[in-house]
Amino acid sequence: MSYSKKDEDAEPAIFKVDRTSVFQEARVFNTSPIYPRKCRILLTKIVYLLHTGESFPTAEATELFFGITKLFQHRDASLRQMVYLAIKELAGTAEDVIMVTSSVMKDVAGAGGRGSGDQDIYRANAIRALCRIIDGTTVQAIERLLKTAIVDKTPSVSSAALVSSYHLLPTARDVVRRWANETQEAVLSGSKSSALFGFGSSVAAPQGSGMTQYHAIGLLYQMRAHDRMALAKMVQQFSGGQVKNPAALVMLVRLAAKIAEDDPGLRKPMYTLLEGWLRHKAEMVNFEAAKAICELKDVTDTEVAPAIHVLQIFLTSPRAVAKFTAIRILHKFASVRPSAVNVCNMDIETLISNSNRSIATFAITTLLKTGNEASVDRLMKQISGFMADITDEFKITIVEAIRTLCLKFPSKQAGMLSFLSGVLRDEGGYEFKKTVVESMFDLIKFVPESREEALAHLCEFIEDCEFTKLAVRVLHLLGSEGPKTAQPTKYIRYIYNRVVLENAIVRAAAVTALAKFGVSAKDGAKVDPEVKSSVVVLLTRCLDDPDDEVRDRAALNLRLIKNEEQEVAEKFIKNEQLYSLPVFEHQLIMYVTGDQSTFSTPFDVSSVPVVSREQAHAEERNMKLRSADTPTLKAPTTGAPRPAAATSAAEQASSVIATTQKYAQQLALVPELSAYGALLKSSSEIELTESETEYVVSVVKHIFKDHLVLQFNVKNTLSDTLLEDVSMISTPSDEEEVQLEEDFIIPVPKLAQDEVGTIWVSFKRTSEEGYPTGSITNVLKFTSKEIDPASGEPEESGYEDEYQVEDLEILPGDYLVPAFAGSWDNVWEQVGAAGEEATESYALGTDVKGIQEAVELLCKQLYLQPLDGSDVAVNSTTHNLKLFGKTISGGRVVAHIRMAYSSKNGVALKATVRAEEEGVAQMVVGGIA
Amino acid sequence: MSGILRRMYDWLVRLFWATEMDITIIGLQNAGKTSLLRVLAGGEFTIDSIPTVGFNMKRVQKGHVTLKCWDLGGQPRFRSMWERYCRGVNAIVFIVDSADPPSHPIAREELHSLLQKPILDGIPLLVLGNKSDLPDKIGVDELIDVMKLEDVTNREVSCYSISAKEETNLDAVLQWLIARAKR
Ligand SMILES: Nc1nc2c(ncn2[C@@H]2O[C@H](COP(=O)(O)OP(=O)(O)OP(=O)(O)O)[C@@H](O)[C@H]2O)c(=O)[nH]1
Ligand SMILES: [Mg+2]
Repeated sequence: MSYSKKDEDAEPAIFKVDRTSVFQEARVFNTSPIYPRKCRILLTKIVYLLHTGESFPTAEATELFFGITKLFQHRDASLRQMVYLAIKELAGTAEDVIMVTSSVMKDVAGAGGRGSGDQDIYRANAIRALCRIIDGTTVQAIERLLKTAIVDKTPSVSSAALVSSYHLLPTARDVVRRWANETQEAVLSGSKSSALFGFGSSVAAPQGSGMTQYHAIGLLYQMRAHDRMALAKMVQQFSGGQVKNPAALVMLVRLAAKIAEDDPGLRKPMYTLLEGWLRHKAEMVNFEAAKAICELKDVTDTEVAPAIHVLQIFLTSPRAVAKFTAIRILHKFASVRPSAVNVCNMDIETLISNSNRSIATFAITTLLKTGNEASVDRLMKQISGFMADITDEFKITIVEAIRTLCLKFPSKQAGMLSFLSGVLRDEGGYEFKKTVVESMFDLIKFVPESREEALAHLCEFIEDCEFTKLAVRVLHLLGSEGPKTAQPTKYIRYIYNRVVLENAIVRAAAVTALAKFGVSAKDGAKVDPEVKSSVVVLLTRCLDDPDDEVRDRAALNLRLIKNEEQEVAEKFIKNEQLYSLPVFEHQLIMYVTGDQSTFSTPFDVSSVPVVSREQAHAEERNMKLRSADTPTLKAPTTGAPRPAAATSAAEQASSVIATTQKYAQQLALVPELSAYGALLKSSSEIELTESETEYVVSVVKHIFKDHLVLQFNVKNTLSDTLLEDVSMISTPSDEEEVQLEEDFIIPVPKLAQDEVGTIWVSFKRTSEEGYPTGSITNVLKFTSKEIDPASGEPEESGYEDEYQVEDLEILPGDYLVPAFAGSWDNVWEQVGAAGEEATESYALGTDVKGIQEAVELLCKQLYLQPLDGSDVAVNSTTHNLKLFGKTISGGRVVAHIRMAYSSKNGVALKATVRAEEEGVAQMVVGGIA
Repeated sequence: MSGILRRMYDWLVRLFWATEMDITIIGLQNAGKTSLLRVLAGGEFTIDSIPTVGFNMKRVQKGHVTLKCWDLGGQPRFRSMWERYCRGVNAIVFIVDSADPPSHPIAREELHSLLQKPILDGIPLLVLGNKSDLPDKIGVDELIDVMKLEDVTNREVSCYSISAKEETNLDAVLQWLIARAKR
């Protein structure tokens, strides 16, 4: 019997299939009696066509669909199965598919079949087809059927019912949610038929794998997705060992992680579960748990240690896949917390020569993150050894790691630069070359010592560059950086070569770059007349170029260079002004999406803030440090990506500009503030109450040249109560010292339930010099009126009330803005020569656990930019933190903080601050701790 | 030994004389189509039969003839589909709840508009007044009248009064159907 069946199926009928002939052959469905074999082959063809992307027009699909229904109830179980497969696929396009409901239900129930073994073959298929043909209104009719199927003892039937319920959930939420008990039962009975299988063993058979548990838990989750407590209960209930299927456990792991993330109160019990799963028998569960722990928000070193330990063990597993998985998770975590991955360094070392290049790549990039400066050179040598053997994708991962490293350890730039220039010469696609070139751009920008050499490498690169886009970018960079070097003529030659040899796009870029040499030179120096005249000669030649754009650019630039007024030329050609691009983009979007009337006035560019090059650089560098932390090879995640891990010091600082610009727009709406001039800085939002209180208050500090403006956001959470005349009495704690004088208060006239209103309180800074700091007490004052539930009207006269919220601290950091400098040592010397210095020692106590935490705390508190990679503590006992920034009026502030840590005394530090403005050094030093 | 011979004989009979017929059963909802088919196929009559969503198919074996019966849903949303299942069948069975006179005019409308379709010309029609066990039922003559069966041309037409519940007159139904087999 089984032999003959095999012969039938072996027919190579499948190979030449087209829609029209299949549709014509469909007559075979209507013949009586039915030929099961012919029909099965035709059905296979239909399904095959649909799977290869062919689609039948509605009329044809309907015709086929009803043709197929003629085959119902045939004795041949395989035909029945095939019928359901085809119906399931056609259900989306054919019309009136609801017609087959009753017939399919009969097969689901198992009535009318012959042997029950036969039935099991197609029952699961019938269920899956059923959920495709049913509509929202008829779900109720199949409720009993599906409930029974969910708890069916045949795993394939139960799974099919669970998965179908999952699909029905969006259309008939209320009905499906009533099946929770059956689903629960399916989880528990699923364990009886389950057989354990590990990560590496053969693919599990559909029966006996316990896959039902996976499906059942998936469904339960969908049913309870909005009820966190119920989810937590479920995870806890199923963690007791009844769930054996690894896939199901992986889902529980992800759920536990999500719950821990969403609800801090449940973090602890969830962590305990995750930690337990690290020791589960199945590897995939171990990995998932380890990954989840590493991704926990603000995970502590103690919490993460067991996960790292498990991963470390896998690093020495004989199987490549286990090694790969472990190193990939470690690699990702090393971006966030290199110090925690340190312990694995020995094992990772042995992997860098692994014959599997993917493993070796991750091993090296992980070490680059966890290692110290000393190991960098050796690792670079290792990588160079096999760069040629790996794919572009991995090459990019490596180059990105190196790029971050350059910014972190500027002193290592020479080695990294030679590595980068080496790989730049290798074969590789555009994405790869782009990454290398961009890394070199970063070096030039942020590590000034590397400039000349890097430029030389780039010059060489464009001599033979197949990517127009990259050539153009390099030329632009040569134009802006070349003139500042000692020997600008060197670059002019390279650039002019492009004019001679390249396509029009590159030529045009080269012309623009050339022109820059004609107007700018080394810091402040005048342009060498010889250089200028040779640029003029070269540009004049370009006037004969066959391309319009090239000629136009040459002509324009010549005019500007020959112009007597240097200033005009500089303004046009050097173009040093930078708009704040994020704000620019936002405003443009607002403009083009506004209503018709917005177009009556042209877009006003002057409303876009202009940022200094320094600011833009600082921001860019931080972004780069951060983005490199996200590996190019992403592991799949569940649900929406969570916000970046612990907010690093760098991130915190870089957001200042963005916040300030955001608020500038809001403040522009308050006319009383227009006389204050430009907004210099806005703090982040600070909560002054718990979030569950009757009145929820938060505040933002805005600093203007002579004023301090407090923006209190107040929310009334009381039901049936209207607040009127809501005002804030803010009193500086000690008038003498604080030097603030109240200017005005703008109260909120009315605040209904759940409404948020803004109270503005403005202070004038009384003294010309210095920046007042200290605390301000705040009392909310208002008239409270109850609302009559019958009429919905507030009572005539309410009663006056007060509500004290927390004090607000005005800190030195409020007057500081982080800034970037290429070399911290330089600014340290410069400011030291011109300004004041102040030193103070502190003990942070044992609350601060470790150097890294202290670094982050200080960056946050002082609002200064960490330089020279000092935001990452490499040594766990001593550290030098180097900070730089400016006051809101532009005076430079440089800080050097030496720290030492011992577990007994915590972090002790000695801070030396140098500042250009009077009194600032003392203020900043005083602002620590 | 004789068992095997017997089976051989059955097999031969089926091989040479076995006939399969397609029969479509239609009628308004609640007329008793599904109930009748269940009983014809040898099942038990049940009082709590659920409305048919779409259609049902059942085989009824009678001697060497197999009747493939398509039992269609009678709710309004399915009536447009009747025609599709009546094409090319050996006979159409239209069931009326003879104890529910208010439904008769609609039943008549639906039947006549279906028979209008040229593609169904010539297909024999059997009209059954079901639920004859109920007191308020109308008789065959009256049914022929209300259903205006004299107006039906181009086909053989018969009308019986039956009860699926009491299994009254079901043999006559089967006999009539088998006689419609094309030989
Ligand atoms: N007393 C009596 N009741 C019957 C008889 N036949 C059917 N019924 C009842 O009539 C009701 C409807 O029967 P169904 O067979 O489901 O009706 P149907 O024509 O298939 O209805 P749809 O599928 O909705 O088109 C049920 O409650 C049956 O028990 C009969 O001969 N006598
Ligand atoms: Mg029915």
